[in-house]
Amino acid sequence: MLVQFYNVSKKYDNGVIALNDVSLKIDRGEFLFLMGQSGAGKSTLVKLLFREELPTRGQIFVASRSIVRMKRSDIPKLRRNIGIIFQDFKLLETKTVKENIAFAMQVVGASKKDMQVRVPEVIKMVGLQGREDSFPSQLSGGEQQRVGIARALANRPLVLIADEPTGNLDLETAQEIMQLLYDINRLGTTVIMATHARELVKAANKRVITLDKGKLVSDMPSGEYLL
Amino acid sequence: MKPANAIYFIREAAQSLSRNRVLSFATITTVAVSILILGIALLMTINAGNIMNRLESDVQVIAFLDKNLNSSEISAVKRNIEKIDGVKSVKFVSRDEALKKLQESYGKDYDLKATIGKNPLPNTFDVKAKDPHQVAVIATKINKINGVYKVNYGQGVVERLFQVTRWVRVVSIAFIILLAAGAVFLIATTIRLAIFARRKEIYLMKLIGATDWFVRWPFFIEGMFMGISGSLIAVLLLALGYNSLVSRIGTIFFMPLVSDPHLLSQLYLSLIGIGALLGMLGTYISINRFLKV
Repeated sequence: MLVQFYNVSKKYDNGVIALNDVSLKIDRGEFLFLMGQSGAGKSTLVKLLFREELPTRGQIFVASRSIVRMKRSDIPKLRRNIGIIFQDFKLLETKTVKENIAFAMQVVGASKKDMQVRVPEVIKMVGLQGREDSFPSQLSGGEQQRVGIARALANRPLVLIADEPTGNLDLETAQEIMQLLYDINRLGTTVIMATHARELVKAANKRVITLDKGKLVSDMPSGEYLL
Repeated sequence: MKPANAIYFIREAAQSLSRNRVLSFATITTVAVSILILGIALLMTINAGNIMNRLESDVQVIAFLDKNLNSSEISAVKRNIEKIDGVKSVKFVSRDEALKKLQESYGKDYDLKATIGKNPLPNTFDVKAKDPHQVAVIATKINKINGVYKVNYGQGVVERLFQVTRWVRVVSIAFIILLAAGAVFLIATTIRLAIFARRKEIYLMKLIGATDWFVRWPFFIEGMFMGISGSLIAVLLLALGYNSLVSRIGTIFFMPLVSDPHLLSQLYLSLIGIGALLGMLGTYISINRFLKV
């Protein structure tokens, strides 16, 4: 079991209850959608996973380790096992494609030799050969998200968390990105994708967890969801 | 810190410094000004302390002796004074010497002896204390010795002098602390702006799994660089200015300026150290808030 949530609740300081008694399990190698309208608790769930936030109540395990009781100094280790993709890509505008990906390896202390091997590898994986030296502003939205995915994969994470990865893309580009995520999942990486793009979820025919007002309202095995 | 990382940290720091050129320059200037004022204040304190020490060491007890003592009785009094705790030196001043000194102070045109007839002055002992603050206590003890008919240690004046010296010391220390706090605040502000400009990058680094120190180092180097370069400029100006002051005037209130090269180089080195420390402290204050991701 890769991820386990036991009766997790999250109440923010301003009184908003973002998650209310959520329990769920995610296996290694799964592909999972998190559905729900904005404010349903998707982002909070994602933030709890890489411990940007702590739950108010409940227990969370990632790879059998409690991340609630985890020491502050152990958080970097947890995060190196998790790759994150953002809706707004979060690329560094002053760095090229190659440098953006190398940056992710640099901050975890990878050697130059490792980078020289791994960076071209992931660039090829996401299909960006020939664009290595472009800056983010010279790329289309779909291409930028591919850089984001390559960066997330650079450190060989166990899980890839995608928070609305297609939110800023047109349908056709979104489908290309989805295809890329399926391919990555097929190679063994667990993928958790928060979204509210119903068409994509239906077409994918994968496990769907639906959140509503902080509660887990359904957990269906194949492309079905409530709401 | 791995060597490969060190190069990365220094490059990042240099990039940030040149990216925020105007702000970095402003910070270095403010650090230089703060350290310069701090240095001037310290030099003033050192010199004031020097003057105070000299003034304080001039404080002494004068013991007036009975007129009819013979020489063995006088040396008995001397031995008794020397026995008192805290006495540093005892010097005999005969009545003839005293008259000569007095005559000198009146000048040659005035014949003191002719005016007053025979010498009216008593024999005295000039007594110095190890700690000038103890003169009042010592004076009381001397007064009880047989053969001493009166003591004088500038009662009232001495107490005021000590009050003034203590006040001067407290004020200069308070002034120096205020200035140092000002410099830290300025560096903290500059680093905060540099961090703020890169907060997205820092957030990203933290999410990818960078350790706090990996994020901190470039900013620490940046802060230390600004602190050290600012204080270097200040020390350079201070050393040039003070040296020319020493060679041109040399004295202040008839006391020589402190010019011990060992003491001065120690002061300059500490100022540079303080600059580096202020840079680190300023960075530390600013950065931690941004690491809570």
